[in-house]
Amino acid sequence: MAQAIKSRNILGAIAALTVLLFGGWSGAVIGWLLGTGAAFIACQGKKITSAKTGIRLGVNAGLGLGIWILIASLVQGFLLLPTTGQSALGIIQVLTLGGAGLVVATLSGWLMGAAQGLGPRRQRITVAFLAVILITFPLIDQLADTNWTATVIQILIFALLALGLNIVVGYAGLLDLGYAAFFAIGAYTTGFLSSPQINLEWNFWLVIWIAAAVAAVAGVILGAPTLRLRGDYLAIVTLGFGEIVPVVFRNLTQIQIYEPISKIFASLLGQPKLAICLVGCDRPFNLTGGEAGINPIGRPALPLIGTFQSGKYLPWYYLVLLLVVLSVLMISRLRGSRLGRAWAAIREDELAASAMGINLVQTKLMAFAMGAFFAGFAGAFYGAYISAIFPSVFDFSVSVIVLCMVILGGLGNITGVLLGCVIIMAADRLYLPQLAQVLKSMLNTSVLPNVANPALRDFLATSVDPLQMRLFLFGLTLVVMMIVRPEGLVPNAERQAELQSPDEESLAEVRSL
Amino acid sequence: MTMLELKDIHTYYGNIHALKGISLRVEPGEVVTLLGSNGAGKTTILRSIQGLLRPRQGTIRFENKALEILPAQAIVRLGISQSPEGRLIFPRMTVKENLEMGAFSRRDTLGIKTDTERALTLFPRLRERINQKGGTLSGGEQQMLAIARALMARPRLLLLDEPSMGLAPMLVTQIFSIIQDINNQGTTILLVEQNARMALTVAHRGYVLQTGQIVLTGTAKDLQSNEIVRKAYLGET
Repeated sequence: MAQAIKSRNILGAIAALTVLLFGGWSGAVIGWLLGTGAAFIACQGKKITSAKTGIRLGVNAGLGLGIWILIASLVQGFLLLPTTGQSALGIIQVLTLGGAGLVVATLSGWLMGAAQGLGPRRQRITVAFLAVILITFPLIDQLADTNWTATVIQILIFALLALGLNIVVGYAGLLDLGYAAFFAIGAYTTGFLSSPQINLEWNFWLVIWIAAAVAAVAGVILGAPTLRLRGDYLAIVTLGFGEIVPVVFRNLTQIQIYEPISKIFASLLGQPKLAICLVGCDRPFNLTGGEAGINPIGRPALPLIGTFQSGKYLPWYYLVLLLVVLSVLMISRLRGSRLGRAWAAIREDELAASAMGINLVQTKLMAFAMGAFFAGFAGAFYGAYISAIFPSVFDFSVSVIVLCMVILGGLGNITGVLLGCVIIMAADRLYLPQLAQVLKSMLNTSVLPNVANPALRDFLATSVDPLQMRLFLFGLTLVVMMIVRPEGLVPNAERQAELQSPDEESLAEVRSL
Repeated sequence: MTMLELKDIHTYYGNIHALKGISLRVEPGEVVTLLGSNGAGKTTILRSIQGLLRPRQGTIRFENKALEILPAQAIVRLGISQSPEGRLIFPRMTVKENLEMGAFSRRDTLGIKTDTERALTLFPRLRERINQKGGTLSGGEQQMLAIARALMARPRLLLLDEPSMGLAPMLVTQIFSIIQDINNQGTTILLVEQNARMALTVAHRGYVLQTGQIVLTGTAKDLQSNEIVRKAYLGET
């Protein structure tokens, strides 16, 4: 019970923050999303015998959330807007917006609660709810004019990455610090195969599979030399790999390849003209475009919809959603499979796993390949979506952020990893920029004019910028997480047992005496 | 036909010459024990047989197949499995999952089911703990789990590495009586032990190792009455 109240208050605070920052109809949208979520959490771990009990719990949760939204709407409309230089809203408008949030949150809670009361079909209904939310989200987003779809697409791209890394780190226990390399390889493969760079304009639907396959092969190539390494040593090698790949892409701008035997003869005879040139003879060949990258990259096209446009998010959203759903299905199948059990065994104890008859080489290489495969997917989509790629996009920070998502959410647990991804990306790409904007206008209208000291004014104007504190906030979150809940938000049951049950262990010892 | 035969095995850890020409054999149905103090090379012999370490020289034959060229997973499939030193169970898997991992090399679902039942009958303690995580078991229970897990591969030759290590005397007796049962049910056993007294009560034959070499061999009875063994390993004066 205490847990439910706690999570309701956390969700309420998030909803309130959303309303404060974004204003407008965002209260209704977030009420819809979190109201459903809050009702779901409230029903977790409870025996729900009839739809009635479910509805009571759901409405309770939704209403609690709605009250947060209503209060936040009042604060935002009457107090916050004037301090940021906009005119306050009328009482009717504020009550409409806040009331809509309240009603939507309660209704969502009611619906979810009723669904949870359906007994044995509970799980399927929950999945159906999630599907409806994901499918209708961009439409609702357009209706409410919140403009979150573009960010959600980015979140989903990173979800693909996090799911892939979860195979390597969460399932097989191989710490990979250079995961962005596979993202880069997928993106650049797409770049080569469907851009004017080397005059190939292959179809995106083919290229995305090739990109994933090329990334998987790269995974094996990285995996092969690291087979004997464990723990820290493996991490360092993968780190190196992650650094090398973007540098290679940055520098493959002047390629000239000679046939090697004739080249040796030519240099021996002192007659360079004898060397037979294969590639880039007249002019060194520019493969990757260096720092400027590859641009433009071909976009996917479908009958009826035509070629996907850059400003029209709907087709992109559904495409990446489809990729994520496919990946989740594949990866959740993997976990219980023979391969998945072999991964679990080598994560626990390599020597014992080997003694059980598990092929270490094959199992580890498969982990790297499968992990890289999904990064290849993400890279291909990303390249086509942005329609341009640069080496600087794929630097170390991407690897670290994805790793953080996996750890924050809960190593080895798909739900947890997705949740970690949504939290980190939403905070980073949605809330933080908006917070920066709101703070800035607040400073300009309400604070700075009242500060007499010019030095202090300068200091305030330059230093109050949450975007600059991005990495700091990020690090702080991780430190707090590791202290409060080291197993992640939604932990994998095995890891939770390891990290949180010293009492059980000592009990067993006592019993054996 | 001899079941397992090692001929002049030399195994190294880097530059350290751990096994200096080991030759031994195990006949079908036997319990053979390897005795010796710490660092004599007992565990190294088992790891060399199982393919976890590669001997630099010498041949290992199991039912006339050369083992020294096979990878570990193929050796398990031939019918050799091991309860490793220090138990090395999977701590975050349940007892049941640990047993399932033991049968990783097999695909006959029905046979795995019967063997799980057999293992749980041998070790009733494990049945009580079937859904408990391996890491939360007591030392004795972990040892039972390690042996049961090795049995799940349905081995014809079972390698046991220090099954009595760190256990209370009463448990040691229990474990050894189970080892006897396993052998009576038809599994050949190669047993590495420091507790020479217990080992010689269940073994048919034994080898005594010192710094990587076999210094003495004979039937269990001979070894029990041997002067050197009595002094060095049975603690008698």
